[in-house]
Amino acid sequence: MSNTSVYKAVLLDHFHNPRNKGELDAMGMVRRGSNPRCGDEIEVGIDCHNGALEAVRFRGRGCSICLASASMMTECISGLQIAQARQLVDGFQQWFGNSDEATPPHENLAALGTIRQHPARKKCVLLAWQALAENLDEIEPRKRE
Amino acid sequence: MEPVPANSPLSQDTVDFEALRADFPIFAAGSQPLHYLDSAASAQKPAVVIESIRQCYSRAYGPVHRGLYPLAENASEDYEGARQTIAKFINAGRAQQIVFTRSATESINLVAQGWAEPRLQPGDEIWVSRMEHHSNFLPWQRVCEKRGARLRMIPLDGSGRLDLAKAEGLFGKKSRLIAITQVSNVLGTINPIRDIVASARQQHIPVLVDAAQSVGHMPVDVQDLDCDFLVASAHKMCGPTGIGFLYGKSDRLAETEPLLLGGGMVDEVDIDGSSWADIPARFEAGSPNLAGAVGLACAADYLHGIGLQAIEQRVGELARLAYERLSKVSGIRLYGPEPGPQRSGIIAFNIDDIHPHDVAHIAAEHGVAIRAGHHCCQPLMQHLGVSSTARASFNLYNNEQDIAALEQAILDTRRILGQG
Repeated sequence: MSNTSVYKAVLLDHFHNPRNKGELDAMGMVRRGSNPRCGDEIEVGIDCHNGALEAVRFRGRGCSICLASASMMTECISGLQIAQARQLVDGFQQWFGNSDEATPPHENLAALGTIRQHPARKKCVLLAWQALAENLDEIEPRKRE
Repeated sequence: MEPVPANSPLSQDTVDFEALRADFPIFAAGSQPLHYLDSAASAQKPAVVIESIRQCYSRAYGPVHRGLYPLAENASEDYEGARQTIAKFINAGRAQQIVFTRSATESINLVAQGWAEPRLQPGDEIWVSRMEHHSNFLPWQRVCEKRGARLRMIPLDGSGRLDLAKAEGLFGKKSRLIAITQVSNVLGTINPIRDIVASARQQHIPVLVDAAQSVGHMPVDVQDLDCDFLVASAHKMCGPTGIGFLYGKSDRLAETEPLLLGGGMVDEVDIDGSSWADIPARFEAGSPNLAGAVGLACAADYLHGIGLQAIEQRVGELARLAYERLSKVSGIRLYGPEPGPQRSGIIAFNIDDIHPHDVAHIAAEHGVAIRAGHHCCQPLMQHLGVSSTARASFNLYNNEQDIAALEQAILDTRRILGQG
């Protein structure tokens, strides 16, 4: 195995022991991200109270990178205010899409950085983040009502 | 020729395939060994093919069928010479039965829209099989939808072979065309095309053969197969990208309407109406792909020089050895028939619940190039009950080290991600 492997210990830990993974039936809102090219599908559910993400969970099928990314995301995002969560999601998508940006928006996400060198796998990483972004987009107009 | 070591698990070849590997510059290009096991997606190119294209552009380039000066005349000769080479390569009776297209895909679309669509009636049936590549599925799905015809599918048995006994109506009165692959790009199954054509012939049902995975990999003789149409792509047979061909029986080609209209495909153009040029020019509107045709013909000559039977045997042996080795890996699931005369050098597999993307990615870190995905065969994936698989495919330049590297990559994948 080369030392440039994307299969860092942090990612493997999240793959083997995913955080916040399971049924979403009790969650307040659920959105899905899918990649028709490989049939992968991640659903992200959120529970929101008083403008904060009390719980973020996911379920679905995908490669190790896809599942690890979803697991890491739920850890970083739980407990944040909606505006903070949106900032983190935007910051992550910007950092992940731009190899020149050195610092991820949250230090616990740094291990995903190596995957920026593999364009074919970027979608794997972003699937859960896109589903979360849809949740947030949905919830903000509701808040204004 | 160096003798094959007595302990080699591969049978003695009459051709020195190890030496032929040096014909392919890509294997000397990188700093790391390349174990290229994705030839079913696209094959590597021998130096002679690359050189033939360079020579075409640097010494013999001119417009085809459009000039009266020596360069243009030579270009036309080279282009038509390439047609003759391909005709001979698949034993077509006449060079005019070969139409150059961009790809096997374009060839199928030409038959679907140019031949099938104008004659399909509501209630008619077109038959494909469950193992077809999307390019031999979607064009038929569209013409059937347009014409109110029915697209039917030959099912597969548990081993990944056609289950012809369950294809009720395949040779029936409503059947208007059978479009079938000669070799599955996932299962490696070699289909009994001759038998299918023989049965279809009795009911006057035309047969189109998708030969993208067979031409250049095994002897293909269109007169022996007796098929009405046959399609292939150059890049899968060690030729350049961007060119393929359609073979058709003369009467079938005469029944086919051109899809692309423009320069070079007309006889007379008048404001009140126009008439088409002779076949095959009628199907080749626009300036022809001269360098592509030259490269394709060179690839055919190269493969013919080695011998298609020898290539088929060599690749079959590699696949058999790989199948044997991989089948011993705990947690592996191999798709398609057991190795044998009905199987080509393509092996699709999954390991435990590990995602094929992970298998291919870790393999890549070992210098092993394999494919992961649905291989443009979603109906087949549904049959197999999976969304994707990993796939290793062999060609004449592969060897035992490639198999060993693949095996090591799979074991490592299990160690990293699985229960291994």
